[in-house]
Amino acid sequence: MNQAVQLMITCILDVLYPETGEAALQVLGKLGLQVEFPSEQTCCGQPAFNAGMRSQARRMAEHTVRVFEKSPAPVVIPSGSCAAMLRHGYRELFREDHTWSLRVEELAKRTYEFTEYLVDVLGVSDVRASFYGKIAYHASCHLLRELSVDHQPKDLLASIQGAELAELAGAQECCGFGGLFSLEHPEISAAMLQRKILNIQDSGADLVISCDAGCITHINGGMHRQGQPERAVHIAHILASDGKKP
Amino acid sequence: MADLFHKKIRAALDDPALQAALDLNARRSREACWRAYTSLPEPWEVMRQRAHQMRAQVIADLDRYLEQFTGCLQANGVLLHWAQGAGDASQIVLNIAARKGAMLVAKSKSMVSEEIDLNQALQSRGIQVVETDLGEYIVQLRGERPSHIIAPAVHLLRHQVGQTFHQRLGTPETGDVPTLTATARQVLRQVFLNADIGISGVNFGVADTGTLCIVTNEGNGRMVTTLPKTHIALMGIERLVPTLDDLALMLYLLPRSATGQKITVYTSLVHGPRGPLDADGPEERHLILVDNGRRAMRSSPLAEALSCIRCGACLNACPVFQEIGGHAYVSHRGEGSPYPGPIGSIVSPGIFGQADFGHLARASSLCGACREACPVDIDLPALLLRVRAGLVPGTTQSPPTRQIPPNPPKPLLLGVMIYTWFASSPGRYSGALKFVGWLARYFPPWLRLPGFTGWGKSKDFPRPAEKPFRARWQERVSTKSSSNLKGRSDSASHSSTNHPQPLIPSRENSVTKPVTIERSSLITWFQNELTDLGGEFYLCAPEDLAERLIAFFRGRGIARLTAWSEGFFPPGLIQRLITAGIEIQHQPDPAIQAGLTGAIAGVAETGSLLIPSGQGRALSHSLLPEIHVVVLQARDIQARLPEVLKNPELIESRSSVLVSGPSRTADIEMTLTIGVHGPGELHVFCLDETPNTAG
Repeated sequence: MNQAVQLMITCILDVLYPETGEAALQVLGKLGLQVEFPSEQTCCGQPAFNAGMRSQARRMAEHTVRVFEKSPAPVVIPSGSCAAMLRHGYRELFREDHTWSLRVEELAKRTYEFTEYLVDVLGVSDVRASFYGKIAYHASCHLLRELSVDHQPKDLLASIQGAELAELAGAQECCGFGGLFSLEHPEISAAMLQRKILNIQDSGADLVISCDAGCITHINGGMHRQGQPERAVHIAHILASDGKKP
Repeated sequence: MADLFHKKIRAALDDPALQAALDLNARRSREACWRAYTSLPEPWEVMRQRAHQMRAQVIADLDRYLEQFTGCLQANGVLLHWAQGAGDASQIVLNIAARKGAMLVAKSKSMVSEEIDLNQALQSRGIQVVETDLGEYIVQLRGERPSHIIAPAVHLLRHQVGQTFHQRLGTPETGDVPTLTATARQVLRQVFLNADIGISGVNFGVADTGTLCIVTNEGNGRMVTTLPKTHIALMGIERLVPTLDDLALMLYLLPRSATGQKITVYTSLVHGPRGPLDADGPEERHLILVDNGRRAMRSSPLAEALSCIRCGACLNACPVFQEIGGHAYVSHRGEGSPYPGPIGSIVSPGIFGQADFGHLARASSLCGACREACPVDIDLPALLLRVRAGLVPGTTQSPPTRQIPPNPPKPLLLGVMIYTWFASSPGRYSGALKFVGWLARYFPPWLRLPGFTGWGKSKDFPRPAEKPFRARWQERVSTKSSSNLKGRSDSASHSSTNHPQPLIPSRENSVTKPVTIERSSLITWFQNELTDLGGEFYLCAPEDLAERLIAFFRGRGIARLTAWSEGFFPPGLIQRLITAGIEIQHQPDPAIQAGLTGAIAGVAETGSLLIPSGQGRALSHSLLPEIHVVVLQARDIQARLPEVLKNPELIESRSSVLVSGPSRTADIEMTLTIGVHGPGELHVFCLDETPNTAG
């Protein structure tokens, strides 16, 4: 395999978790992929889109399309939510603009979430990672329900050497992040998060794995406030791990 | 602007009884739905995509279907009314009531009536209107609005219902659900018998037959469409399906999504008023077709929301609804909307206006659980986003689509604008990230943001990285010449794999294809489903029927029956019952404890009985008595619902009903209680002429 992929790092990973991006690089590199990082990339525009501010969202979306259509290589995004934005959100955003719709469709069909790319495109569900401990999987909403990606991350986790998979009750329920929703409706968001945290505690897992840094920020932010060890970790870390706690 | 909304949210979150009730609802309803989907004749996803296409076609071609539908209704003798706005609809009801000199109205569940505030209009004219769905009755006694489309009293626990009954009806205070249900049965039975007018909603109108389909579990839908002299049905103009096959598809999906049932206990299929020779039924049947903003919505980007069949599944699936309940969904003036939850956050701004209700669409994490649960696959998250973007209908009068500016709270608006300024230029964006990284060295690992940000109230925020990913990438590229890390390159080979296309099923309704199943298997299937519903099943040879029935009635101490005319039973049966000392009356009589009827068909997959009305066949015989006894021919049992809906007698009859088990409710704490308005017992004597041979 000597395929090239374009990495879209997403704004959250860029600013808050660059080491997650590096872990993703490590996994992709281990599989022999040539990773490109178009440095003009910024944000997919989802925050503005979800706020209902479509002209602002369009500016970021157009920029993103321009950046990633320069290369024909597949776009790999370590975030279900941002991948869903490129695949579905852009379609909605440009639905009355024929020219842009075509550009968006072209990009959408070669845009993949990270684990989806590994399993569905590369056919790899074992990346020879190892981790000795108990892990649980939290299904991020957009990954699960907009991209229908579910077995892919689970397959990858199941093949991690030494990892014991724990059942997480309500694994498919939203953690209450929802981007700007968590700022606009903090009370509801907090109540939803509390359910998630209680389920995580009950699972007995050392780590809760997610494919979205938004959920991770939210869950860990809540756990830290409550004086609990933060247990949410991006899947790239555990897939890059060689036995130690990521 | 939405301060009252926030106040309601906080109150809901701080109410432990409400929280307990909502958790119970979410857990039970979600489990029940997913269990029920496994009994569908085809995969759930295939059926809901077919339903999606069918409903989309109806909405796209609405005028043609309405024309066909209303043509049939008029031919059937239904009096038709068109109402443009809420006031018009209420006025039509008031006019009918005035003409009839009506004092008492019995009302079955109707969301449209909530939408047009009908009860208030009637009461202001001194007309007493009583809600007869148990949940609706409870909230009416409390002076509340329903908090859920399907389960109006879902926000209450049993002891709260007991207190309400104690205060309003003077009954001893109790939390015993069967006792509370029995109280409601007693009070409401008098209302049904004395009401001048019965008002109901309509679940589906069938365009090519003019059938009005009304489903209820308790039997109140049957009561109000059968007993009062005048029946008025209220229906949104969008609630059509093209054919009876399409109705069958919806009847597969609606009860499963709404309550996790395979079928609702009573599916009334109403065509016209009582005919000259009919044994019972209303003398006048009216249908009011209500627009109230629907046409405007149809030509707006929210049109897809008109596909909604009001099952309430999105409410049950929604994690936000689970936290705040239906009563929290208020306009910025504090008025409740009859449509709460995800669909309500689209329909309320769509019908009642973006200015008043647009903020509701912002109370969603866009998790998509609503769409996942929707039996017609409405893309609710996309529609919520359109409401947020102001892509909503204008008022009912003005041009249908008018872009109303988006309405995020000001700080958010400003924040996103600033963010957009940075994020739409790589230079500014990289510069900003560098600055944030520099700033981060002075921060602790976790930041406690102030409360006004929203975030800071319940969670901490991680410190940004000193070196963002893009800076690290630059370092890698300049220090390493690793073969698998490169900057922009176009020499790469790449995969152009397309994503799998979503499954688009054909419109062809494959469940309607005839299925050949041996009669004995059909009987067993029917029996299992019926007994699952709480009905009793007795297989018997035709020559033994009279003996078995006499033994049954004697065993139960039943000496009087209301029954269909003699000709509908095996020859000599009624005479033998009379000879055995059982008094038989053909006129409906609410004082008589048991009713004996036939059924023209049985549905094996749901344990249902198709019972028509007509000369000598009063619907009341299967409705008023506490014990309903049915004689069914085994050869009339068919496997699936669509076959049974093709029965020609069904379309010819002024009113028919599919009965599936004894009357039931789960309106109090989702606790199943048998015997509300309809019979509490259902006994089916199935006659098999040629036992052990295939039909």
